[in-house]
Amino acid sequence: MLFGLLETGFPLFYWGNALMIVIGLAFIYLAIAKKMEPLLLVPIGFGMILVNLPLGGMMDYEMVLRSPQAGTVIEAPMQKGDNFEKGGIVYRLDSGEVTSPVFGRIENLKVFQGQHVEKGEALALIITMEQTNQAQYPTRPVGLLSRIFQFGVMWQILPPLMFLCLGALTDFGPMLANPKTLLLGAAAQFGVYLAFFLSLLFGFNMTEAASIGIIGGAEGPTTIYVTSILAPHIIGATAVACYSYMALVPIILPPVIRLLTTKKERGIYMKPSLRKVSKLEKILFPLVTTIIVILIVPSSAPLMGCFMVGNLFKESGVTDRLNKTAQTTFVDIITIFLTLAIGASMPAQNFLQPRTLLILVLGVVSFASAAAAGVILAKGMNLFLKEKINPMIGAAGVSAVPMSARVVQVMGQKENKQNFLLMHAMGPNVAGAIGAAIAGGVFLGILG
Amino acid sequence: MIDWELAIKTACGGFGLVFGILVLLGVSVELTRIITERITGDKK
Repeated sequence: MLFGLLETGFPLFYWGNALMIVIGLAFIYLAIAKKMEPLLLVPIGFGMILVNLPLGGMMDYEMVLRSPQAGTVIEAPMQKGDNFEKGGIVYRLDSGEVTSPVFGRIENLKVFQGQHVEKGEALALIITMEQTNQAQYPTRPVGLLSRIFQFGVMWQILPPLMFLCLGALTDFGPMLANPKTLLLGAAAQFGVYLAFFLSLLFGFNMTEAASIGIIGGAEGPTTIYVTSILAPHIIGATAVACYSYMALVPIILPPVIRLLTTKKERGIYMKPSLRKVSKLEKILFPLVTTIIVILIVPSSAPLMGCFMVGNLFKESGVTDRLNKTAQTTFVDIITIFLTLAIGASMPAQNFLQPRTLLILVLGVVSFASAAAAGVILAKGMNLFLKEKINPMIGAAGVSAVPMSARVVQVMGQKENKQNFLLMHAMGPNVAGAIGAAIAGGVFLGILG
Repeated sequence: MIDWELAIKTACGGFGLVFGILVLLGVSVELTRIITERITGDKK
């Protein structure tokens, strides 16, 4: 208490907060000094710093703790303002203990020693920063970023809108010119399902495993969307894993590619020119895709619908204003809201757990195996194709548009100066984005 | 307790479905190309 008037954050600040602030600063350093995904890492890093400054309240939620059974209060071990870990004992009743399902601090105690309480009666008002299953433990956001998170992310508004903007920014031309590349985008989804299985083996439940697996789709909005529905309590870890690995694509992809290909294969020449795709084809693609995909996987509608309507804005030629807005101002606004909120979903108490480290490891396995599956399929296709494809473009099926395609281009140039693989790699790259959205929809359809 | 039967169905069925849909999209892209070429009489 400063001068007995102002409560400062120092008494509640612990090593975990300091570590998270250092990680946040590292994100900002990587963005500014190394130019790694600055539009994502700066706000995510800053959000991490904000949420780890105690009593800032930016990511606070109010939760009413209710009695799980009837009984008389024997003891109330906590006082107003006390902090507690998940599972902390808030009351002892003669019929048993009442523990908190989340970490947080006591805002208000509503019953006292000797008082009788009924089952379901409100016992205390808790302030927490943890994402809860709203059906089980409803919370009310009371901070700036928790409101953005609740109504933007948890209500599944921002991720599909981000997909709309990505649709407006995506050129499906290279994929339409060479539809074989759709197979490479499909193969790369293998990483999603491998990580899903590994997560189950490491003790995660089905919904958590699906949320971890989808990191391999390398699409931030898809990962956030799926996790917000299936496993909101691990959304910070899955989102940061996805965005971090997207930033680390130039480091993750090359060793995987080198491991699975020979120098000769990496040097396979592909003609730089692709078939010219007509405007009519580009207009029909988002319409046909929407109808086919949503009829088969209805739960992919929010992501796929937004992705394709954004693309139609771009290709129709009559909605230039909408297209321009989606590609510039709108995508920036959504990015600010989404990334700040994601950064703020990582308070130390929630994030610094062995499970988070495991999620990060499984995430990188998902990413790497997705790239590997794309490369292996490309090599397999070469057994049947008269005109060989460079198997490196299979690694671009991991999505992370357009970074993975750029990595393939750079590696291709190193092996053969005549080779311009960028446009060829963009095919599997955008196919991977579609594949990831479908994979997310399938998980939601089965487990949601 | 993990329902391994559901897990296997989710993984294998899911991957198969994603692959199948993308193959279907590939086929529809080719069909669209053929149809639009016929409509516009623009053979590439």
